[in-house]
Amino acid sequence: MTPPAATLSRNGLGWYLYGIAAADDASAPLGARLAAGAEQEVELVAEGPLVGVASRVSLAEFDEQTLPERLSDATWLEQKIRTHEHVLERVLEDASVVPCRFCTVYRDEVELRRFLSERRETLQAALDRVRGKVEVGVKAFIDRDRFAAGQARQNDEIRQLETRVSTAEGGRAYLERRRLEQLVASALGDFRGEVAERIHTRLLPAAEDGHALPLQAPELSGREEEMVFNGAYLVTADRGGFEAALASLAREIRDDGVDLELTGPWPAYNFVPEELGAA
Amino acid sequence: MSLSEQQSLKQQVTLLELVDRVLNKGVVVSGDITLSVADVDLVYVGLRVLLSSVATLEEPRERISTAGAAR
Repeated sequence: MTPPAATLSRNGLGWYLYGIAAADDASAPLGARLAAGAEQEVELVAEGPLVGVASRVSLAEFDEQTLPERLSDATWLEQKIRTHEHVLERVLEDASVVPCRFCTVYRDEVELRRFLSERRETLQAALDRVRGKVEVGVKAFIDRDRFAAGQARQNDEIRQLETRVSTAEGGRAYLERRRLEQLVASALGDFRGEVAERIHTRLLPAAEDGHALPLQAPELSGREEEMVFNGAYLVTADRGGFEAALASLAREIRDDGVDLELTGPWPAYNFVPEELGAA
Repeated sequence: MSLSEQQSLKQQVTLLELVDRVLNKGVVVSGDITLSVADVDLVYVGLRVLLSSVATLEEPRERISTAGAAR
């Protein structure tokens, strides 16, 4: 690894790249919007048909040596993550954008321009794929009590057991209750996978593309209800057809205890190629 | 749940959505300094601190200010 002192550019400033847009899409209004009221000064670095949406940043702040320390600093991390997203959201209001991953920093403008010109074709293909589209997130949570109530309506064994639990006394009531809990838990085990597949199968035809994502860790999701599905969909910017499909699905599965949550619109993070190495 | 608790929960959820995307998705380009896959684990250490600090925003701050005043 090159020692940091030797890699610093002359003025100690590098370029933080948020994303890439098309020059013909990212016209004057975008530049004006980015310049107005920004918490971070954002510049459009034009190279041929592409523009890099970027900010000048202190290289010392993003140096490989100090970055691990920064990343464990919660305040720094939150601020940088929110800035990254705010800049891209402002671009998204006017133009399509290929989002970059967090902390993509170039040491100088030459390196940034070289990337934009050497990877032009791949970047244009990525832009074409997301043009006029946005990403939305769909998460499904299950409410155990409502699920159990829904099961009681559909499943004779559970319904009869519920009746016995409500009338039994003492040790017998305890055993019946245990039996009921086991039955509901087992039904829930089957239902989780079924409902996840059902959601994805229903939403995919209403979108341009979609992915089922890993479920979020319960300690981070901030909700008591269990997450049963986490998906990302690439949809046309008006989102009309997709939201209609989502609403109709939500009505169908509500009685099973499932609530759907829509997030976004997001830049199409989940629908751009992951690796764009050096040419 | 109080209004401020609800707001901090909402913020925390939004932040988590952001983190899932900004840190794990998006193109990885040949930046000179690019967050490597190994570093993402470090981010999650920072994130746990961050999210728990959002969840318990009010109480610890009070404690800190009390400690500061005592000095």
